[in-house]
Amino acid sequence: MTQLALVIDLNVCVGCHACVTSCKQWNTSGPAGAMSDDNPYAAEPTGTFFNRVQTFEVGQYPHTETIHFPKSCLHCEDAPCVPVCPTGASHKREEDGIVLVDYNKCIGCGYCSWACPYGARELDEHEKVMKKCTLCVDRIYDEALPEAERKPACVLACPTSARLYGDVHDPNSEVSIAIRDEGGYALMPEWGTQPANHYLPRRKTRKHYHEDELVRVDNPLKKEGPLIADEKGPFLEDVTSW
Amino acid sequence: MKEMLHYREIPGKSAGYYAVLAILGVLIALGLGAAYYMEHQGHHVTGMNNQIVWGMPHVFAVFLIVAASGALNVASISSVFNKKLYKPLAPLSGLVAIALLVGGLCILVLDLGRPDRLIVAMTYYNFKSIFAWNIFLYTGFIAIVAVYLWMMLERRFNKFSKPVGFFAFIWRLILTTGTGSIFGFLVARQAYDAAILAPVFIVMSFSFGLAVFNILLIGIYSGTRRPLGDAVVERLRKLQGVFIAAVLFFVTIFHLTSLYATERHGVMKFILDGGNVYTGLFWLGFVLIGSIIPLVFCLLNGFKNSARWLVTASVTVIAGGMAQMYVIIIGGQAYPLDMFPGYEVSSSFFDGDIGSYTPSIYEVGLGAGGFAFAIAIVLAGVKILRFLPLSLANSLVDPHYHSEERSEENETAAGEQARA
Repeated sequence: MTQLALVIDLNVCVGCHACVTSCKQWNTSGPAGAMSDDNPYAAEPTGTFFNRVQTFEVGQYPHTETIHFPKSCLHCEDAPCVPVCPTGASHKREEDGIVLVDYNKCIGCGYCSWACPYGARELDEHEKVMKKCTLCVDRIYDEALPEAERKPACVLACPTSARLYGDVHDPNSEVSIAIRDEGGYALMPEWGTQPANHYLPRRKTRKHYHEDELVRVDNPLKKEGPLIADEKGPFLEDVTSW
Repeated sequence: MKEMLHYREIPGKSAGYYAVLAILGVLIALGLGAAYYMEHQGHHVTGMNNQIVWGMPHVFAVFLIVAASGALNVASISSVFNKKLYKPLAPLSGLVAIALLVGGLCILVLDLGRPDRLIVAMTYYNFKSIFAWNIFLYTGFIAIVAVYLWMMLERRFNKFSKPVGFFAFIWRLILTTGTGSIFGFLVARQAYDAAILAPVFIVMSFSFGLAVFNILLIGIYSGTRRPLGDAVVERLRKLQGVFIAAVLFFVTIFHLTSLYATERHGVMKFILDGGNVYTGLFWLGFVLIGSIIPLVFCLLNGFKNSARWLVTASVTVIAGGMAQMYVIIIGGQAYPLDMFPGYEVSSSFFDGDIGSYTPSIYEVGLGAGGFAFAIAIVLAGVKILRFLPLSLANSLVDPHYHSEERSEENETAAGEQARA
């Protein structure tokens, strides 16, 4: 069975929110729209977003680092929001594993929002139905688009290519290889929800240098010794191959 | 000669009766207006947000639904447990149960994001959802209690009232289990995810439902000047006391169990020692006002045989019950999801923050409107049908009543019945 998902590389995410805005732009213009956005510049803005970036600090000052953590619906393989929906509006597609909400069947009871341990569900305050990431289902199968653009809007917008998209059940897909090679992990696996979206961890590159590696062997200045203001002596050009 | 109980409609012609109905009518109209406004404008005019998705209307609705099943207790004690003193109270108990449930469901439906899609909720079912099961439990409860009332009120069918009453009793236990399980099944939130929430809701229903029943019974008997003997008052007072103590016990066990689990220390500290509105509502509202004070009224002999003190105790139980519902429903949502244990999280979505919620006037209006609707159904019901005995004097209802006291009271009761 195909299970489409996103793989997000936390090592290169810079927290620019391009995925957030591109998601909002695409989806507010599509079948999910319009996605509400009330008082965006006021003290208490409210609105519907399918994708948000959380930022958190790790460690104690001064040994801290900032991690940007983009989060949207994780399209869990055993999604807890699906069984709780009284009308069956929340459903998981068999053909590609995307978890969707049928906006015509949603009665806006909010119970899925209670059940989702990842806080990925949002009630659109104007349409009064539950909304969430659709993995741009209206885009990824759109044959009117060039094949390279048949990807979720957030994937296309990410300036650092931190977001990968593909079938996590296909062992040869880009996302499966990334998960395998880079130690990709699922969020809170202890819930047993088997989130399809994965995260690639922050990676530290450490290299050790020997002292002699820090010294240039053919440093011309060494050959010259202290600079002497002697017009008769050899010039730099005379002693190097430059 | 064995004295008979005579069930009669209340006259319902006094200015007081119409004044109460008028006040309830205004509250219902305001509730409908509030629901229309929220539906028209959207949820952003309420205090609810994407963290607190169930607000004040749910506090009222869940309270009423829980109280509804509890209000049927009086009838159950009579039919299932054969306690004769409760038999004359059984029809009113059934009526109050239906009325409270209808009031609660009205609030629930009008607070849905899309109440216009109620037909969808009734035609598409996902039977894995406890919510879908509750739709059947609620509508089934109304139907079963209606049949139960019919069996009680129609003399030819009186013999069936016991088995139907037994069925209604089992159904109400399942119903409250279902309501408690809406929260108990929520594994994603640390404030819930506990099997004990189902029995907690069952004992809460006993207490809250009886409190509402007490007020309505005493209010109607006082308003219609029908005799209400000490025996009934005293029995209800003690029963209320036992229920309050049971609720306190179960809630204590719930919190102690949660306190034992390290992963729940955060949420328990937030509720019990957070210095926030939920802490205040729990200790002052539920524990002090809703439990300890009414326990004093219900168990100490100084308050014996007093309908007034029973009403006072019942009012405090209701106030404490509402506070407890607020703590359970709103407090549990306000505590953030713990997605990154040990880390402080911030985002544009208030992740990691304590959810803020201030009930809007519209939400309170909708809740109060539903409450008023439930009471109005009871007041209209007792005027239309013969739910209430003309007298609940000790001589008529107390099987242990001494004959020497009987003659004295007989005169009063007979006089009342003759006047009616």
